[in-house]
Formats: sequence, structure tokens, C-alpha cells
Amino acid sequence: MSDTITEAPPSVPRPVAAPKKRNWIKIAATVLLVLFLVALPILTGSQVAYLKVAQYILIGTVGGIGLTLLVGQAGQLSLAHPFFLLVGAVSYAVLAGDPAESPGLVGLGFPPLLAVIGAVVICGLVGLAFAPVAGRLRGIYLGVASLSLVFLGLWLGQSLELFTGGTSSGRPPPTFELFGFAFSTTTPAPTIAGVPIQKQQRLWYLFLVFALGAYFLARGAINSRIGRSWRAVRDNEAAATAMGVNVARVKAGAFTISSAFAGLAGVMTALWLDLVKPDENEFTGNYSLTVAIAFLAIVIIGGLGSVPGAVVGAIVVYGLQQFFLLGANQFGWFADAQFGGLSAVILSAFVYGAAVVLVVLFEPGGAAAIGRRLTSRFTPRKER
Amino acid sequence: MTSAPTLREGVVDLVVDDVTLRFGGITALDGVSFTVAPGTVHALIGPNGAGKSSCFNVISGLYRPTEGRVRLGEQVLTDLRPHRLAALGVGRSFQNIALSPGSTVRDNVMLGRHSLTRGGFLSGGLRLGSKTERKHLARVEEICDFLGVADRLDSPVSALPYGVAKRVDIARALACEPILLLLDEPAAGLDGTETAEMAVTISELRDALGISVLLVEHDMGLVMGIADRVTVLDFGRLIADGVPSEVQSDPAVISAYLGVGAEEEN
Repeated sequence: MSDTITEAPPSVPRPVAAPKKRNWIKIAATVLLVLFLVALPILTGSQVAYLKVAQYILIGTVGGIGLTLLVGQAGQLSLAHPFFLLVGAVSYAVLAGDPAESPGLVGLGFPPLLAVIGAVVICGLVGLAFAPVAGRLRGIYLGVASLSLVFLGLWLGQSLELFTGGTSSGRPPPTFELFGFAFSTTTPAPTIAGVPIQKQQRLWYLFLVFALGAYFLARGAINSRIGRSWRAVRDNEAAATAMGVNVARVKAGAFTISSAFAGLAGVMTALWLDLVKPDENEFTGNYSLTVAIAFLAIVIIGGLGSVPGAVVGAIVVYGLQQFFLLGANQFGWFADAQFGGLSAVILSAFVYGAAVVLVVLFEPGGAAAIGRRLTSRFTPRKER
Repeated sequence: MTSAPTLREGVVDLVVDDVTLRFGGITALDGVSFTVAPGTVHALIGPNGAGKSSCFNVISGLYRPTEGRVRLGEQVLTDLRPHRLAALGVGRSFQNIALSPGSTVRDNVMLGRHSLTRGGFLSGGLRLGSKTERKHLARVEEICDFLGVADRLDSPVSALPYGVAKRVDIARALACEPILLLLDEPAAGLDGTETAEMAVTISELRDALGISVLLVEHDMGLVMGIADRVTVLDFGRLIADGVPSEVQSDPAVISAYLGVGAEEEN
């Protein structure tokens, strides 16, 4: 029966559409942006703190892309992202950890690259394990159910000290290495344009590769068969089923993929902090409710389901927070009593909270919709 | 009606075999049996609440019958999970357009190719299937051209008038390359001109593709104009099954419709 469905079209064949004209402005802008990102360590020079801010934005980007696929494309609300960040960070530390260096902790001593892949796969599998819940609940109910994972992470992080190192000291993540090239400070260091490429510069390039890879994969997936099935399940499950989409499987798959992205962001968090340490409480920390809300803000500010939007969201949410922290550390912002104990983290939460409100009120499509409107002015209008 | 068209290869009859559907104490369908012969336009009609939609949902796998079964050729559809039907050649459109409003027409119709294609996250992310994707896109453009929506390929569905969106929904069902097309009230919400155009389209697509069409419809003008055979349900029971002229003069059908207001239906 299957050979009948690919038969020749019965209608009059029409000429195949002419190849799309390349949008040179877009290509030029992309090249410039990539050049800028590659040259960033040189531009920041010895001001490594700025580079740390940029690295942090890339963590938000990778995690945000994962969440926008799930929430925006597949229509599943999840607040469990910090949990998968924690699983990713701990998995990396456990897989790559050298038992000789950290006595009393579980370390399997895998090569770091293998450990990163392993951590991403483990997060995907843990996400898949949540699929029976994710497949049955919708909207805010799924959001609340997924929130329970953050609390589970808090408890597991504190009780499984053999893996996590515990809340008091944590454990150091193993240095990332690629074919003998260590992502740490060495002497002598290679230099580019007089700037030594040390640990932070190397981490920047590593993160850039991760983020560009995540971006590339997500964009490709959205424009392909899997992306169409996500949107179909999001918009109408009955219609998706009628078109041959296995709804339960697609939902589980979306959760798995989103969790894997979060796992990579978790590995990046561990490398960025140079520490894997479970949170002391559920409200503050790198794997806490605050982070769950921050990721949701990234997705909303960027526009639900938009990958470039997630990048913009990460700049606003993750960038601002680190920018204010940088100001506090370098220039003594918020030190005065007149700020009334307003810390950098709280101030950034206010700013992105306001951004979320503005987006919801004035442009529910988020940064993606604003971007579309701007680019449509510079590109030749298609005939409708 | 029209002369017998050349059948698409593999087109077989759809047999609804003694189907009973109960929800708790309510019997929505009571021992309904009829056959959609290959290459015919078959209409399923009846007054409101007669069980047309229930019957339709049983055929398309959304409801599982309490008793009885539905066969497509040798294949028993009621044993299968509903998402498997598309691959067997059952395409379906929806009464209240069930498209993704934010996506383009092209994207929506491409969903119909789901069961004809393979690939998951990695193959999509790495753009491994872009060559076959282009082949399928070309076919989607042909189908949209056939339904007269090719000029709207890049429009989001939310920007389309209702009548056009309705045709996109049918285009998506056709993108499954079905041997049996299920149309749920294709004329619902359309004005007189659009309904007439839809009738022409349905006849044309059956003739051009050589497939069977089963439609549920309220618009008697449309049904009597294009159907080769009509099945009438009332209170979950089959009360008539025959060619339109036969059914129109059937006393049971007349009384069923008169009881519910024949003026409306005509």
C-alpha cells in the first residue's frame, strides 16, 4: 500500500519554484555578528569580568533555546529547567571527576568531552522519565507539576553528597579538555593580537561553540518534520493525530530534548562557576525557583518559540543580572544605604519583570515579533 | 453523477460493520453498517444529534466503538491507534478548521506529509533531509495549487478568510496522499458561492485523484449535487442508504427531517 502514496501527481505539473533570492543584508549581518563574537576576547582584553558576563549570557542562551522549544513550539509549560541544569552539572562532575583528586566523592574519570555528552544524554533520559506526567498534564497544571522537580533537585542535591559534594563545599568540576588541550590557564599561553588566550578566553570559545551548535540544531529542528509535529501537537492534538503524529511520543520527545539543552546549560554553569554546589534553599542559587522564573522570562521576552528571541531574552535576563553584579563589584553600585538593600540580582529581577509585563501588554510576540517587523522594512516585500 | 474515474492504486472499500457506540447510558450509534465503494463520493447525513459526527470520529479512530468494527480493505481500522490511519491512506479535514494559526499555509500543509516522511530532532537539526524536504514541498505546492490556495503559501493561516482556511484544511488532508478522504462538514460556515465552489472542488478532486470521499454535511444542496451515495442516520440508527434520488423520496428520511424542521435543511 505504501508504494501507492508516492505516485506521480495527477494535476498538471507546474514549474518548480525559482530558488529563493539570497538576502545579502541578513548574511552580512550574520557574518558581522559571528566575527564580533569570535573577536570578543580580544575586544575585552584584560577586562575578563566583561567576558564572564558574555559567557553567562551564552548559558542563558543554551538553556533558553531548550525551553522555548518546549514551551513555545511544543506548547508544554515547564518550570523544571533548573532541576535539569543541576542534573547536568552534577552528571558532568561525576562522569569526568577524578576520584584521586576529590576523595570521598564519586568520580568515574571519563574524558571531559565524553562526560559532557554523557551529562546531556542523562538529562535527556531524566526528562524522558518525566514524560508520563508531561504527557498527561497541560498548561499551568504541567507547570506546577514540573515545579516539583526543582524541590526534588534541592533535596537530592543536599542528600546525595557523594555526588554533589554537599551544600557547604560542593565539588570542583573537572577542567574541560579536548584532545589534550586544557581549558585552563597555562604558561606560556597562545596569544591573539597581543591578548593571551587563557582559561576564560578558552571557555568563551567553548561556550560559543556550544551556543552556536544549540542554535543551529534548534533552528533546523523547528523548520523540519519534528518542528511541524511540535506545533501540530501544541495547536490541536486531534488534528495532529489525524495527520499521523503520535502525540504522546512527540510530547515525550520535546521534553527530552528540552531537558538535554538544559543539561548542557548545567555543564556550562559548572564550568563558569568553577564549582558544582547544590543550593541551600529553594529561592536563591543557581538551580532554584528564581532560575526557573528567569528562564521563563527569557522565553517570554524573546517571544514564545523563537530561537533568536531566546538569545535576546538571555541578553536581557542573564546579561542584566551579571551587568549589575559587575557594577556592584567593580564600581560599588548598590553599596549605599539609600538603595535599601537592593542587590544586583533583585534589581535585575525588577528590570526583566518589567520587561515581561511590557511584552505581554504591548507585544505578545516578544522580541521575535519586533525583529520581524524591523526586518520586513529592509527586505523586499513578497507578493501576497 | 459523473462517470467512474480512474482509481488511484490501492483504493479499496471502507466498510462500517455493525458499529455501536455507547457513552454511559446513551447510545450514540446503534448497529450502523454501510460501505463506501472505491472512488465514490459518499455522504453521511442526518438531523442534528443523529450520530454523524460520532460515526465520523469512529471511522477516523478518535472514538473506539463499543461493538462492531471499521475496515479499510482488509485492514481493521478500529484495532489501530488513531495516528496510524494517515499512513494507511486516510486523510481527514475538520469542521472547525484545526490548523496552526500562527504557521504559514505551506507549513500547515507540510504537516500532512508527516506519515510519508521520516526524521526526528537530530536529522532535522542537522538538516539531513533537506533534499527530500524540497521534493515534498514541491508536492505541497501542487496540492495547494489544485485547491486554489497556492498564492497564499507564505501567509499565516490566521490572516486568511474563513473560506480559504477551509480549503487549506482540505489541502492538508490531501497532502497525506489518501485513498480515502474524510471531510467533516466541508461547507460549514461558507457562503453560497463558496459552497458551490467547494462542491466543484470535491467532485474534481475525486475525479482527478480517483479516491473515495466520505463527507458529513448539513447542506443538502451540496450533498444531493455531488454525492454518489447517501447514508442517512437518525437517533444513531441507519434509516436509509442509497443514491440521492432514492433517499430523497424515502418516507423514513422525510419524516426524520420533517420532525426536526425540514425548512432549515432545504
